[in-house]
Amino acid sequence: MAQDNVIECKNVRFTYPGQETAALCGVTFSVARGEFLSVIGHNGSGKSTLARLLNGLLEADEGKISVFGMDVSEGKNAQEIRKRVGIVFQNPDNQAVASIVEDDVAFGPENIGIEREEIGKRIEWALAAVGMEKFRRATPSRLSGGQKQRIAVAGVLAVKPEVLILDESTAMLDPKGRREVIDVVRRLNREEGMTIVLITHFMEEALLADRTIVLNRGEIVLSGTPEEIFENGDALETFNLCLPEISGIAARLREGGLAVEGSLDPAKLAEQIYAEFSRKGIKSARLDLTPPPKAEAAREWDVDIRDLTYTYSVKSPFAAQALKGVDLHIGEGEFFGIIGHTGSGKSTLIQHLNALIKLPQAEKKYRKKKVKKGVPPPVMPSIRVGRFDLTDKKTDFSALRASVGMVFQYPEYQLFAETVAKDVAFGLKNFSRGLSEEETKAAVKRSLGMVGLDYDEVAEKSPFDLSGGQKRRVAIAGVIVTKPEILVLDEPAAGLDPKGKKEIMELLHKLHREWCKTVVIVSHDMDEVAENCTRAAVLSDGKIYACDAPARLFGKGEELLSLGLDVPITLKIASRLGELGISLTGCCTSRAFSDGILALYRGEEDA
Amino acid sequence: MLNDVAFGQFYPVGSFAHSLDPRTKLLALTAFIVLLFVADNFLSLAACALVLIAAIIASKAPFGRLIRALKGILFLLAFTAVLNIFLHGGEVLLFSWKFIRIYREGLVFTGYLILRLFFLVTASTLLTLTTSPQDLTAGLESLLKPLTYIKFPVHALALIMSIALRFIPTLIDETNRIIAAQKARGADFESGNLFKRIKAMIPILIPLLVSAFRRAEELGDAMDARCYTGSGKRTRYKKLVLGWRDIIAALLFAALIAGVVLLNIYCFSIVPAAAAWIKPV
Repeated sequence: MAQDNVIECKNVRFTYPGQETAALCGVTFSVARGEFLSVIGHNGSGKSTLARLLNGLLEADEGKISVFGMDVSEGKNAQEIRKRVGIVFQNPDNQAVASIVEDDVAFGPENIGIEREEIGKRIEWALAAVGMEKFRRATPSRLSGGQKQRIAVAGVLAVKPEVLILDESTAMLDPKGRREVIDVVRRLNREEGMTIVLITHFMEEALLADRTIVLNRGEIVLSGTPEEIFENGDALETFNLCLPEISGIAARLREGGLAVEGSLDPAKLAEQIYAEFSRKGIKSARLDLTPPPKAEAAREWDVDIRDLTYTYSVKSPFAAQALKGVDLHIGEGEFFGIIGHTGSGKSTLIQHLNALIKLPQAEKKYRKKKVKKGVPPPVMPSIRVGRFDLTDKKTDFSALRASVGMVFQYPEYQLFAETVAKDVAFGLKNFSRGLSEEETKAAVKRSLGMVGLDYDEVAEKSPFDLSGGQKRRVAIAGVIVTKPEILVLDEPAAGLDPKGKKEIMELLHKLHREWCKTVVIVSHDMDEVAENCTRAAVLSDGKIYACDAPARLFGKGEELLSLGLDVPITLKIASRLGELGISLTGCCTSRAFSDGILALYRGEEDA
Repeated sequence: MLNDVAFGQFYPVGSFAHSLDPRTKLLALTAFIVLLFVADNFLSLAACALVLIAAIIASKAPFGRLIRALKGILFLLAFTAVLNIFLHGGEVLLFSWKFIRIYREGLVFTGYLILRLFFLVTASTLLTLTTSPQDLTAGLESLLKPLTYIKFPVHALALIMSIALRFIPTLIDETNRIIAAQKARGADFESGNLFKRIKAMIPILIPLLVSAFRRAEELGDAMDARCYTGSGKRTRYKKLVLGWRDIIAALLFAALIAGVVLLNIYCFSIVPAAAAWIKPV
């Protein structure tokens, strides 16, 4: 029924001024009242453009968009449309206008001329809808990413829209924040009957919707229920999307002879596996693949941190202890993971590795305090990284920084030079003065090649003209150009689409093999850590909660959840299977997990 | 983490002065500054000092913070004092050596000037210690409202101030991140001559600028999407309400104004002996 469609797009085309390729080329779709629609697509597929077109922030070149029967292209409708279609954007930091939560939430209602008392009621309602009523007088800059984003949702809700568009609103959040926002959105859809358009590149989120559309290079290439979409694995690959890990597991099980239908819900997949087992008469089984603990004492530690404590803004009312006694050992040649949610102290920890934060003893003004009788001397932190002793004032900190490469979160935001070549050469010139032009050029060329970029193509371009993924590669090239022994990366895959993520992880493995001996990644994507790391440490509330090989670390599934962290998908399946009587422990990569299941399945067969 | 410290002077405790309406405080400060310069004898100045002391007590302001603010103008005070003592003319010569002449009037005038500046800075510091930047903005907006009749964009100005305040901590965080990232790439901001240090700032400033523009663009979209049109036709949720405290403060200031005026007129009939020494030019 046409009246029931709140949004209708017919053959919409849009090209950004000054660009040759169209961002959207002929998009036709509609959204029904009360529907939960998810839109997925690779970076640059036109998803965000679509969101901005729907409430008139951009104007289509061709085609017709009507929202509640109003033509978006007519200026007089703009205000009415924006009242009824709200958008929450990607960056939680760039949406608030006021320094106090309630003032910010009031902004929308003020704009449409709501009376003061009614605004008060709306603030109360909107904050309750996102579960933030306790934060009415709080300052957004002190909240977590998930909380800030929920405030942004409340700010949009306060206008009382009928359609809520989320434009990658979860892309910059950690798993906890993501869950918080998604829960709010689902509740709004179910309980308030709000129409939702969820633009995302997290497949797990997309499949919560009633219907999914897939965008590829500005065109809608697939449309249907999430189940239908994700059955189409090969097609998704060609659209630069990746199947969720769970689909891969189901496919591998099918290859091995288990007739599972496959599901995106781990519990459902577990039940399907169990059904197959019981069809063969297997009611219970047990397999423990946990690798034996390695003798750690025998290893040569590349990074050795002991008793590390750190407090921000000492002696001020805002003092906050970020690290509360961290002991961490990372061996040479490891691909090490550091897991922790926002605010767990992981950024503070890694900034110690190359003395961006110096130990107190290494500060010039440091003097040893006289030890009073009867009072035990304070425990001083110590850090050794390779051949560098970070407690020593005389350490060559410049050489240390050259050999410990540090790639921060969203490294593309530090690019500054006129050309890519100059930007990549920046670190090299700082660390090894007196290099000839040829030597510099050769090094830049090598590191650009290492990150998969063609020197001749990009070297003379401005870094700001590159695509998001390319920028990130250039930024990484600018760090590895000094050929560091240890490469530390904070959330290297943050904000990328699934394919981009996969490519970055492949790049890191390549760097690990050919370029830097040790790689340390900070991540809150558990699947990423489970699939890639040799060992990982969980940082929680300024302390190392656990440190082990992923297979054993993730054995503590429940405990991780209680720390606000996620667990790998394999564990979620295994946990439901365990309840049913099939116990499989000690494997967390999807390959090891499906092999384990198949072994169990066949093992019984053999016997 | 720097953002915790840098956020203005506001000292967040609850006190009588904190819970006053920002408009009351702004008007009181203005009145106080005018009175400081109207007061032309030591008794009226003492009345001002009394009110100031009462305000300090009512604000629970930490003494150290007030002293720190005064330290900032120490140089200015010393400079004015020296200039005035030596250059002020007068009738009663107290000291004379070569070309230097110090008159009694000069000393008295300088004394008054220093006290006035001293009181002025303390009173302004008291305002910023007890009023959050958001409240100050709201107060200013409300007081400037009459200017809308001459088409002055008071509301836009207030919104700009509010957004600027909101983004200060965000941009400070961002700056710290960029500094750390460039330091990790071997950038050196601490050594070299002035020119070198300015040049070393480029790798910080450019990314910061690029990011500020990106944020501004996204914020603009977010504001548009929340129905902001830029026209003045909007309601305001935040309403400043005058309370009993404001009445007390207003009465106190009315008393001060009356006191200063009366003392200005009758000072020398109260303390006739002081007239010769104290009345400044």
